[in-house]
Amino acid sequence: MRRCFGADSMAAAAKQTSRQASFLSQLPKPVSATAGPVILFTAGGVRFAVEANEVAEIRDGEERGMAYRPKGSEPIDFALQVGLGAGRVVRFLVLKPGESPQGAASGVATGVATGVALGVTEVERMTSLPKVVPLPALFQGAERQWYRGLLLLENEVIPLVRTKYWRQVALPPGRIGTIDE
Amino acid sequence: MNETLVDAKSDARFNARTDTRRFVTFPLGERRFALDSSQVTELVMPGPVHEFPHTMRSLEGVLIRRGEAIPVCDLQGAFGHDTPRCLYVIAQCSYAGRAHTVAIPVSGSCELVQGERYDLPQSEILEAVPADDVTFVAGLLRTGGVTVPMLDLDLVVSHCIHPSNASAREAKR
Repeated sequence: MRRCFGADSMAAAAKQTSRQASFLSQLPKPVSATAGPVILFTAGGVRFAVEANEVAEIRDGEERGMAYRPKGSEPIDFALQVGLGAGRVVRFLVLKPGESPQGAASGVATGVATGVALGVTEVERMTSLPKVVPLPALFQGAERQWYRGLLLLENEVIPLVRTKYWRQVALPPGRIGTIDE
Repeated sequence: MNETLVDAKSDARFNARTDTRRFVTFPLGERRFALDSSQVTELVMPGPVHEFPHTMRSLEGVLIRRGEAIPVCDLQGAFGHDTPRCLYVIAQCSYAGRAHTVAIPVSGSCELVQGERYDLPQSEILEAVPADDVTFVAGLLRTGGVTVPMLDLDLVVSHCIHPSNASAREAKR
């Protein structure tokens, strides 16, 4: 038996095969969840999201090298850190302080709060209850640290940043400035 | 007695490995390959591949299917084709002891065929298939008087993720 899916009937064939294959496949149900409110921002021309309850404040960066920096936090060029090249940093998403990595690694509460200000191009808007899917396991590089998952929002896939990681990032390559307010 | 037992076991193994089932054939580069239809989840029309910054060179991004993000393998490095995409074959593979679903872009029409699969020693595969095409071949499918190499999807994905691992496995054959 041979059935050929020619170009003309490709759509129908694909649909048919898809239906047929659904009997064969044992796909696990997608594990998705919803996130709380997220803030959408762009960096290096790409849209990202961060959980709103992880953000302490959003500040304007007047110009490169003169970035706002709250005490105990480090400003970074987010686009540069994720391999998009040095981005145009216009605003800072100041993450709420978290525990220092040293303290977390040793299991001893040090009480040292560390924070980071993500330098981004634009903060677009805030949205609620987007669906979050895990990053596929075949993505095995640094992106597993960068992102907590992928948001499915209005036919778009938006990486949801893992704030815990970004608080721990060593900063020299993407460091913007160290000027305290 | 022992010889009979060994023969029976050998026959059982051969029968287990030589099965008549349905297969999906598709073009990759300049050659057609086949996958066991039980591996293929669906065939989908080319849709938007959602890209985002990451470090995996051989993964283009993800397709969203039924609320699941499915990584799209860039096989251009492995198969050297740069032709328009007609379909994505979404199939299941095994990598690092886990099952994964991947999308493979293919450049032409797909067929659902019946045939017989032969898992032959690599030397016999070499006889049946030109040497240049042996890479990523897990066996042969005989269907309608033609022989189609069976794609070793696990190896392809392994090559995409860690090219050196796949090369080592291929060399051991």
